[in-house]
Amino acid sequence: MKFKPKATFSPYLLWIVLFVIAPIGLIFYYSLLDLNGDFTLANYRNFFTPAYLTMTLTSFWYAFLITFFTLLIAYPTAYFLTKTKHKHLWLMLVIIPSWINLLLKTYAFIGIFGLYGPVNAMIEVFGFDPTQILFTDFSFVFVAVYIFIPFMIIPIFNALDKMNPSLIYAARDLGASAFTTFRRVIFPLTIEGVKSGIQVTFIPALSLFMITRLIAGNKVITLGTAIEQQFLVAQNWGMGSTIAVFLILIMFASMRLTRKKKRGGRA
Amino acid sequence: MRSNLTTTAKVYLAIVFVILYAPIFYLIFYSFNSGGTMSSFESFTLEHYKAVFNDNRLLVILINTTIVALLSALIATMIGTLGAIGIVSMSNKKMRRTLLSLNNILIVSPDVVIGASFLILFTMVGIQLGFTSVLISHIAFSIPIVVLMVLPKLFEMNTNLIDAALDLGANRRDVLTRVILPYIKPGIFAGFFMALTYSLDDFAVTFFVTGNGFSTLSVEIYSMARAGISLTVNAISGLVFVVTVGIVVMYYLITKRTRKSGEV
Amino acid sequence: MANDTIIRFDNVTKSYNSNTTVLKGVSFELERGKFYTLLGPSGCGKTTILRIIAGFEAPTTGDVFINSKRVNNVPANERQVNTVFQDYALFPHLNVFENVAFGLRIKKVKEAEIKARVAEALKFVNLAGYENREITEMSGGQRQRVAIARAIVNDPEVILLDEPLSALDLKLRTEMQYELRELQQRLGKTFIFVTHDQEEALAMSDEIFVLNEGNIQQSGTPVDIYDEPINRFVADFIGESNIVDGVMLEDYKVQFAGKVFDCVDGGMKQNEKIEVVIRPEDLHLTTPAAGKITVRVDTQLFRGVHYELSTYDKDGNEWLVHSLKQAEVGAQVGLDFDPEAIHIMRLNETEEEFDARIEAYTNEV
Repeated sequence: MKFKPKATFSPYLLWIVLFVIAPIGLIFYYSLLDLNGDFTLANYRNFFTPAYLTMTLTSFWYAFLITFFTLLIAYPTAYFLTKTKHKHLWLMLVIIPSWINLLLKTYAFIGIFGLYGPVNAMIEVFGFDPTQILFTDFSFVFVAVYIFIPFMIIPIFNALDKMNPSLIYAARDLGASAFTTFRRVIFPLTIEGVKSGIQVTFIPALSLFMITRLIAGNKVITLGTAIEQQFLVAQNWGMGSTIAVFLILIMFASMRLTRKKKRGGRA
Repeated sequence: MRSNLTTTAKVYLAIVFVILYAPIFYLIFYSFNSGGTMSSFESFTLEHYKAVFNDNRLLVILINTTIVALLSALIATMIGTLGAIGIVSMSNKKMRRTLLSLNNILIVSPDVVIGASFLILFTMVGIQLGFTSVLISHIAFSIPIVVLMVLPKLFEMNTNLIDAALDLGANRRDVLTRVILPYIKPGIFAGFFMALTYSLDDFAVTFFVTGNGFSTLSVEIYSMARAGISLTVNAISGLVFVVTVGIVVMYYLITKRTRKSGEV
Repeated sequence: MANDTIIRFDNVTKSYNSNTTVLKGVSFELERGKFYTLLGPSGCGKTTILRIIAGFEAPTTGDVFINSKRVNNVPANERQVNTVFQDYALFPHLNVFENVAFGLRIKKVKEAEIKARVAEALKFVNLAGYENREITEMSGGQRQRVAIARAIVNDPEVILLDEPLSALDLKLRTEMQYELRELQQRLGKTFIFVTHDQEEALAMSDEIFVLNEGNIQQSGTPVDIYDEPINRFVADFIGESNIVDGVMLEDYKVQFAGKVFDCVDGGMKQNEKIEVVIRPEDLHLTTPAAGKITVRVDTQLFRGVHYELSTYDKDGNEWLVHSLKQAEVGAQVGLDFDPEAIHIMRLNETEEEFDARIEAYTNEV
């Protein structure tokens, strides 16, 4: 295209410089400062102490669990959705809950998982004593999975939807069982969708802090919670930035891993 | 009705849908509870809705949230659309890829990191935390999504249309306003609505960069929820749900109309 | 005649990224009011020439003149030239009327005049009454007409058509060939038509430019090009041909397929190696005794109007024959042809040399 609106393009370029490049630079810069604003490597030394490393590992573990269960639920859902008659309408219905304010949905679980909430009421019906489900690892993972499901479904649905259905018939025709067809044809062809789904789940799961505060009490500390803690409670921006640097590095790594390969697909 | 679904699949889908919607309807159900808890429904009341509309502070927050959402979506749509056009018209493939990667950073970035880094930025530049900082942040994180919504329409656009317009005597401004913008209108709409929902849904970034008593709905609900259950929040959920569904229906109708006239 | 020249290319070249050269020094003059065709295979540079005339691209070297004015750096929107695109490039967000009115609106023509001119243009292409249709509601042929109306409504001096018929089916394509030709004559404007379809080119043009690999191979009227192809490429590209190696013994005497024949060409060195072209329809089936060459019928296909025979002489040269009579596969038959049917092509002859030689020798016979 020979169309070059240079003047109209500049706000966007300015945005990239001010709000993409500069913030990352500032985070790196601040990670090298101590509380008095002097240069130091103490924050990084601090990060490699057992306390922070354990927290990082736990955070990874939870993010992994959340991503795993989200994928486990989302993939079949997306698959079945593509088979429904009005699939785009159904997809719309999946998306709508994701547009309801995140805080409200999280707040709902405070009631649902509460000591007198419906889940405990059900438990009582089966003759067990009500227990505190709120403020446990389980509730944290459950709510996070609930939040991420629609975001995981969308890319997988799109990948499945784009797939040429003749390929499945061809595979079956060539003697593949339903399972083999899934493993050798459907899944490989939708792997890009799964990758995008993992990307929109894993990184946010590492950095959740609102759900950890509201649902998990302070039992689960994620990288996100730690950053919030350092920035807004402890006012130690240097340490907060150091943790953020690691999140950014993980993010870049994931962007590389999930980078779309344009190969053999339709443009 | 033809259906390719087995019973198991139907049950599975049904369970997923119930789980997706249950918390929302649970909230709305108890918003009519006179009992004041989310566990035992006593009798129907609208008092919690009245409470929302009688709470001036809450109303101000609602208005703030709406203003920030509309304004940020509008500005982000303008900058993002022109940005997308700029990206597409770049002849240097490598530069274009770099710009796209930079564009996607804010989409992939965790909210906390965006919030923290913007907080540093605003403090360094000396922008007072409050309405301005929140608005700027919302514009900033909405721009890349607008770009992503507009780009496919631009890539799909036949470049001969631009040549045709030039051939018919159009200058660059005419090409932009008479050909490109009308053509990519569905993408612009989608971008605007996505920006709107991003802004309305944001909690983390706002939480970091707000100050001086300025609050949005998300931040307000957070502090209310930390204090414990309040059925006013339930009433807000009911309102938010209605508004969201309204926006979705409106968006659906608008895209349906533009799609009808915009297809080749 | 110089007054009548509307477009002139003076040694125009076009290269991209310094290593791909699309045009390698193209020069020509086009007269006002004629129907020109740029004919060639894909990648020959024909579309590039069109885009340079339209102003979408600038020549790398050389000069382009429209109405004797150098226009190398005049942008497309300031040229009195309009294009009908291969895919029509109709604006999908505008209806038929607004598509046609686009150029007039840009020029800020008064509303009443726009209405009148659009109506006239649509009438010209037989689409009166279609003003309020959406583009999506129009068929391929109708879209084609809208695209033409959108070009002619601006009253340009030159109309460029970039393979405008390639997306249509065969029947519609033939119909549109008649219509376009007729339209051009009614409008009296210069049409420059780009195609890779030789039949289209032969049927419609006043003059054809055959292009290959960025060079003009030959230009002339359809009949000239068909009858006197300058080289193997043109002979092959314009219609089917039998091309065999031969030797020009002296003027009007040529040797090929092991025999000496009378012909109507001359002006070459004695015993010069040349190539001989005989069109399949100029070969007539006869008995081996009556024929000038004897061949064996290898395969035969019925093509509706004629039979297409693939035959071989004893040296293994293939002779393609279009015959109204049926032959027997495997049979030995004779092929008869007139001296006029033999076309001689010199190796590496330029267009100027060719024209001069043809001029000198065909007139004498």
